Amino acid sequence: MHAIIRVAAATFHEAWRKRFLNVILIFAVLIIAFSWSLAYLQPGAELKLLIDIGLGTIRFFGMLIAIFLGVRLISDEIDKRTIHTILTKPVTRAQFLLGKFFGSLATVFCNLALMGIAFYVVFLIKAPGFLSSMSSSEATGPGFSTDFIYANIAKAIFLTFVEMTVVTALAVMASTLFSWIMAATFSFFIYFVGQMADFFKTLASPARGTGFTGQIVFNTIYGILPHFEVFDMREAILKGTYVGWDVLSKHLGLGLIYATVIMLISFLAFMNREV
Amino acid sequence: MKRQRGVQVIGWVLVVALIAGLQPLNNSVEYDRIVLGMKTPTPLTRMVDFDPTAITGVIMGAALGGFQGIAASMMWMKMEELWDSGHGTWLACLNVMRTVTLLDPHWLEPWKILGWHLAYNLYVETKDPALQAEYLRKGLDALKEGVSWNPNTYELYFELAWTYFDKVRDYEEATKWFAAAIQFPHPEFIERMIAHSYERMPDLDRALDWYDYCLKRNPNDRTARGAITTIRLRYLPAWRLMEEGKYDEAIKRIDQYLEVEPNSLIALHVKAHIYEEAGKDREAFDTWRLAARLSAMDHQARRKTNALAAKLGIQLTPQEQAPSYLLQQEGQRLQVPAHGR
Repeated sequence: MHAIIRVAAATFHEAWRKRFLNVILIFAVLIIAFSWSLAYLQPGAELKLLIDIGLGTIRFFGMLIAIFLGVRLISDEIDKRTIHTILTKPVTRAQFLLGKFFGSLATVFCNLALMGIAFYVVFLIKAPGFLSSMSSSEATGPGFSTDFIYANIAKAIFLTFVEMTVVTALAVMASTLFSWIMAATFSFFIYFVGQMADFFKTLASPARGTGFTGQIVFNTIYGILPHFEVFDMREAILKGTYVGWDVLSKHLGLGLIYATVIMLISFLAFMNREV
Repeated sequence: MKRQRGVQVIGWVLVVALIAGLQPLNNSVEYDRIVLGMKTPTPLTRMVDFDPTAITGVIMGAALGGFQGIAASMMWMKMEELWDSGHGTWLACLNVMRTVTLLDPHWLEPWKILGWHLAYNLYVETKDPALQAEYLRKGLDALKEGVSWNPNTYELYFELAWTYFDKVRDYEEATKWFAAAIQFPHPEFIERMIAHSYERMPDLDRALDWYDYCLKRNPNDRTARGAITTIRLRYLPAWRLMEEGKYDEAIKRIDQYLEVEPNSLIALHVKAHIYEEAGKDREAFDTWRLAARLSAMDHQARRKTNALAAKLGIQLTPQEQAPSYLLQQEGQRLQVPAHGR
């Protein structure tokens, strides 16, 4: 356990020294800070667009940070040959991998928290103005409700963190299998295809005239792909739906199982890898 | 080595077991998301046409994540640019509009413009009745899809109802969608639209009920007051006679008005309705046919003409035949209470 914590702490500190991650974070915070000015692109639905841009930025840049951090974790150690030094110490491969994963996860968490705070500040300043100048439905779009809005935004950021846990695990897995450029490409591809997991379910539907083999193929893809879209709860925020902790805990459970499966595959791949 | 292989086997078995175990949880999360409205309401509709625009829209949506709203706004500006650049760009505009609705389905403006563009602009761009019917169907379908994304506001219900009222002239469908619109905060003229629909259908008792409601709500509603006077003077005497079973007298009465105003479509609709009530299908057919000939846009008359022609075994000219979309079956129609109050 101590070995995992030590590797994680080293990964965390090292991550904050990476300049490109700092640039991504600063850029994301700037976009969030000025998101209110873009909200005027949709007159009559400013608050909706503010939420869209704010949460979208957190998700998008969180994904960039998770992938770019994760894909270089193992390959950098191999390229610099520092992995030999680490693995000759009493650190097993599993401990090394988990330490790397938790270290980058802590970094992603801190980045998301900073972006989340920035968004909350912008929202607290701008949202009352958008609401007071117009009626609720005009300011936000149709069927919009401001019920539970502050709690729902916090929950949306929490779900983004769960989603990024899966993305980080995915990037770590890719890092154990490929060079970092290949790993980044693979991670982006799986992330974007995972956003459209429902598409494969639709393709597998017999009502579409899909043959038996097609059904098996598409259902398998649907079953294996991480369903990243389930971590997006902007619809609930727009509708003012109360999202209970029981529902959130299911999402959390789903994210943790995805991450466990992916990390298990990483471990199995890393076990056999020549370093 | 043997131990390592054992770990590998156990590891992969565990991976497969966990993926299998994921599925019930996945289904449960999907269920929660549908119940709580966290899931986009029409994932199938988005894909059902399978046209390149839909695919592009969905892929773009997935790639853009939270920036869909901005992308939609930018594309809308592009669409306006295309629109202003001239007549030949209407189909290109259509694709951009569709993509915008896929990117930001809660933005009402693109749905309204898309429905109007299909049902009105592109409809008149072609002389081919089959293509016209196709555009009309697509316009109505677009508005229905818009309603499914935005069910808690009156606006798209109204747009849909208006298209049925003004373009399709299917007053039965129009009253149902107007009735759906008034379930949400709405401008006061929509109740008057329900009355107008009943007047044209014709169902004069219900039309009077609704005009009466409008007048009680706002005694200064001069449109409702005028409509009540018009109905009472022009059509109601014939209608009452019809209700009493005095069909010949009813026809005589409505003919008196038709001598003054021979092109009055409402009067012709009332007359045709009286014939239908009297069981005189041939006369009803002739009256509906006359109304259809007087106004090419009177789709209600065209639909009735077609229905009666089929019943009576009369061959219609190609011009008189209603597009297939106007001949939809009752079972396909919206089933909501017609009378909202």
